[in-house]
Amino acid sequence: MDLDALGRCVSTASCLVTQTTSGLIAGLLLFLVAAGLTLIFGVLKVVNFAHGTFYMLGGYIAFTTLQVTESYTLAVLAGGAAMAVFGIFFERALIARVYGQDVLMQLLVCYAVVLIFDDLVKMVWGADFLAMGMPPAFQVPPLFIAGGIVPPFYAVLIGIALVIAIALAASLSGTRAGKTVLAAAQNPTMVSALGVNTDRLFAVVFAIGAALAGLGGALAAPVRSLTPGMGFSVLIDSFIVTVIGGMGSIAGALLASVGVGLIRGFGTIGFPTFTDGLIYVAMIIVLLLRPTGLFGREVV
Amino acid sequence: MTSGTAMRDIAVAAAALAILIAVPFLVHSPAFLDYIIRIAAMSLFATSLNLLVGGTGLVSFGHGMFYGLGAYAFALLMQRTQISLAAAAGCSLVISALVGLAVGAVCIRLRAIYFAFVTLAMQMLFYSIIITWQSLTGGDQGLQGGIPRRVLFGFDLNSQFHLYTVSAVVMVVGLLLLRHVSASPLGATLRMIRDNEPRTAFLGVTVWRAKLTAFVIAGVFASLGGILAALFVSGAYPELANWPISGQAIFAVMLGGVSTFLGPLAGAAILLALGDAVTRFTEYNGMVLGLVILFVTLGLRRGVLDVLTEALRRRRTGPAAGAAE
Amino acid sequence: MSLKVENLTKRFGGLAAISDVTLDFPTGSLTAVIGPNGAGKSTFFNLISGAIRPDSGRVLLDGEDVTAHSRGDIVRRGIGRAFQVASIFPTMTVAENLMVAVAAHRGQWAGLGRRFPPPGARVRAMEVADLVGLAHVADTLSAHLSHGDQKLLDIALALALEPKVLLLDEPTAGMGPEERWQMIERVQRLWERQNLTLVFIEHDMDIVFRVAQTIRVLCYGRVLAEGDAAAIRSNQAVIDAYLGTEEHAA
Ligand SMILES: Nc1ncnc2c1ncn2[C@@H]1O[C@H](COP(=O)(O)OP(=O)(O)O)[C@@H](O)[C@H]1O
Ligand SMILES: [Mg+2]
Repeated sequence: MDLDALGRCVSTASCLVTQTTSGLIAGLLLFLVAAGLTLIFGVLKVVNFAHGTFYMLGGYIAFTTLQVTESYTLAVLAGGAAMAVFGIFFERALIARVYGQDVLMQLLVCYAVVLIFDDLVKMVWGADFLAMGMPPAFQVPPLFIAGGIVPPFYAVLIGIALVIAIALAASLSGTRAGKTVLAAAQNPTMVSALGVNTDRLFAVVFAIGAALAGLGGALAAPVRSLTPGMGFSVLIDSFIVTVIGGMGSIAGALLASVGVGLIRGFGTIGFPTFTDGLIYVAMIIVLLLRPTGLFGREVV
Repeated sequence: MTSGTAMRDIAVAAAALAILIAVPFLVHSPAFLDYIIRIAAMSLFATSLNLLVGGTGLVSFGHGMFYGLGAYAFALLMQRTQISLAAAAGCSLVISALVGLAVGAVCIRLRAIYFAFVTLAMQMLFYSIIITWQSLTGGDQGLQGGIPRRVLFGFDLNSQFHLYTVSAVVMVVGLLLLRHVSASPLGATLRMIRDNEPRTAFLGVTVWRAKLTAFVIAGVFASLGGILAALFVSGAYPELANWPISGQAIFAVMLGGVSTFLGPLAGAAILLALGDAVTRFTEYNGMVLGLVILFVTLGLRRGVLDVLTEALRRRRTGPAAGAAE
Repeated sequence: MSLKVENLTKRFGGLAAISDVTLDFPTGSLTAVIGPNGAGKSTFFNLISGAIRPDSGRVLLDGEDVTAHSRGDIVRRGIGRAFQVASIFPTMTVAENLMVAVAAHRGQWAGLGRRFPPPGARVRAMEVADLVGLAHVADTLSAHLSHGDQKLLDIALALALEPKVLLLDEPTAGMGPEERWQMIERVQRLWERQNLTLVFIEHDMDIVFRVAQTIRVLCYGRVLAEGDAAAIRSNQAVIDAYLGTEEHAA
C-alpha cells in the first residue's frame, strides 16, 4: 500500500491525466464486454459464463486478420462479426438446451465451452503470449495533455468505445427492435405475450452480446497481450460490473465499468498488489447497501 | 426407525473404512494411495458444497475460499507456532467457522445469482489477500518449507501409508458427520428452504438462521478437506484458494449428482481419475474435460449417481407398477 | 382468538391495494371475504400474516398489536394461512411435508442432535393428514398430488401449527363444482371441530352464501359492505360493483 504515491499522483495534473486515460480505456473496453453480458442476462435470463471466450476469440481473430490484411479497421470488424456468428451458433446449439434450468447447468455448459476454446486457441495460435502491436498508423509520438502522456491510439480507442456505447444506447432506445429488446429485458413474459418470436429475439440478442465482446477483444488487442485463458479475468470483471450495476441494466453497466476502470487506474498507484482486492471490496459494499446492484430490479 | 437409519449409515461407514484400510495390503501402488488421499480432501470439500447447493438451494461459487482457508490456517499454525497437529487442525476449523459466520452473514442476505457472485467475490478477495500479504502467506509462492511435527496419535504422517490411513479415517468420519447433518431436523429444514423458502418462513422457521448455520457447517467441512490437502502437498499454495478450485468442486457435485448423498464423492473420484488419465495422453486436458462436461450436462442431464439411483428405483418399482396396471 | 384490523392501508406505487380497512373477526367466527379480481383480498391476507408491511394501520390479535411483526412471530402467535396457489414442498411426500411443519411448530427445526423426524412428529403429522383427508396419500410425493390435494396439503401445513386464526386464500381456486363443495365442506368441518377463527376468500357465491356467517366485500381496496348472506344479496352497491362484474366476466 502506497498512499503517498496515490496522493502525489492525484495532486499532479500529468499523473492524473495518464491514470484517468488508462482507467477510462479499461473501463470503456470493459463496458463493451459487460454490456453484452448484462443484455444477455436481461433478456434470456442466462448468465453467460462463456462471455470471456468471445472476448478472447475476438482478439485472436483480429490478430490474424491484421496479419493478413494489415488493416486494423478490418481486424476489429472481423473480430466483432465472427463473434456475432459464433454467438448465434453457441446460443442455438448449446444455450437453448439449458433455458430455464438451474444456474449450475448453465454454468457448466459455458465452463465446458471455455475449456474447449482455451485449448483450441492453444492448438491454433500456440500457448505463448502474442503481441499484436500498435497498428502502423498510430506509431507516432504521443500527445501531451497537461503534462500527461496519452498515446493517440488511446484517445482513438476511447473515442471508438464511446461511439459504440452511444450507438448501442441509441439503437436500443431509438428503434422498434431495440425497444423490443429493452422491453424483453424488463419483462420477458410480456414480450412473448405480444407475439414476438422469442427464439429469434434470443438468438439476435446473443449475437449482439457476443459481437460486443468480440469488438472489445479486438479493440483491446493492440494494448494487451493475447493468451489462451485471457478471457477469465475479463469475465470476472464483467460480472463484477454487471452485479454492481444491476443485472440487466445497461446504464448500470456503464457507470460500474468506468468506476472499475478508474479504480484500476488509480489503484495501481496506491495499492499496486491489491487492485483486484479493491474491486471485490467495492462490489461487496455495493451489494450490502443495494442487494440487487445500483440499477437492478428484483431477480427471482 | 430414526436410529435405524443412523445405525445403517454407521455400518456402511465402518465397512467402507475397513475396506479402505485393507487396500494398502492388497494394492501396492503409491500412486493409488495418493489418489485416495486426494479424493479424501476433495470429497469433503465437494460434499460440504452440496450441503449448500443440493441441500439448501444455495449455489455458492466461492466455496473454495474455505478449502484454501483451512489449508493456509493449518499450515501457518504448524509453521509459526509449536502447537500439536491436532490442536492446529482444531484451531483451523474454529477459524473457518468464525470466518464462515462473518462471510455468511453478508452473503445469505442475497438471492440466487447475487449470492453466487458475492461468494465468488469473497473468495477472490481472500485470494487477493493471500497474494498481497507476502510476509504472512508467501504471496504467489505459497507457504513453502513443509509442515513440521507431522505426528497425530502415533501416526507419522511423513509416511505415505500413515497419511493415507489418517486421510481415510478423516474422510469417512467427516462424510458420516455431514450425512448426519443432512439427515437431521436441520437438514430437513434446509430442504424446506430449497423447495419453498417463503412457505418455510410462514411455518415459523427463522430462515436466515438456518441458512447461516448451513453456511458455517459447510465452510468447516470444506476447510477440513483443505487441511488434508495441505498435509498432502506439504504446505499451502494460492491454487488451493483460487477460483478454479471452486469450479472443480461444483463440477464434482454436478458430475456425481446433487440429490444423492454420495454423489459428490463419486464426482470427485471420477474428476480426479479423469484428470490423471487425460494428462497422461494429451496436454489438451481442458478440451477433454470440456467435452465430458457437455456430455454430462446435455447428455445425462443429471449426475452419474442420480442416474444410477433413479434406474435402480425404477427397476425395483417397475414390476410392481406393471402388476398394478 | 379474535382478529382485528384498524385503518389498514397499503399502496403499491400509486395504487392503493388496501386503503383504510377496519374489520373485526370475533373469536370462532367464519367469515368470507369476497370482491372482484384485484380488489386487494390477497394483499389483505399478506398484511395480516406479516408477508408485507402496511403503510399505516394496525393488526390486533386478541387486542395485542402484531403489526409488522415477522412472519415467524405472527405464525407463532397463532395465525396460520394457506395460499391462493398451493404452497407446499414439492420434493417431499405428504407425510414429510407435514412432519417438517410439525418440527417447525415445535421449535425443533434447527435440531442437529438427532435424526429427522423428531419423536412424535410422524404421529402428529398423520393426525393432521387425517384431519384434511390426506392420510391415504401420506407417502405420495406432494408434487404428484392432484391440484385439489395440493390445496388440501397447503391447508394441512397451516393446521400443523395449531393455529387459532386460519386465513384461506381461495381454497377452491381452480376446482370443478363438485370438488369445490367437497373442499368447502372439509373447511367447514375443520372450523367446527378445531374451534378456529376462520377467514376465507372465495369467488363462488353459492358457497359464500351457504357457508359463511358473515361476508365482507372488498372493492378497490375498500370495504364495500359487510353482513350476512341476506344483507349482502340485497345490497345495491355490491350488486353494482361486484355481482355485476362477475356476470359480466362470465
Ligand atoms: N407485490 C405487489 N407489488 C405491486 N402490486 C401488487 C403487489 N401485490 C398486489 N399488487 C396489486 O394490488 C392489487 C390487489 O391485488 P391482490 O391483493 O392480489 O388482489 P385479489 O387477491 O383481490 O385479486 C392488484 O392491482 C395487484 O396488481
Ligand atoms: Mg388474490
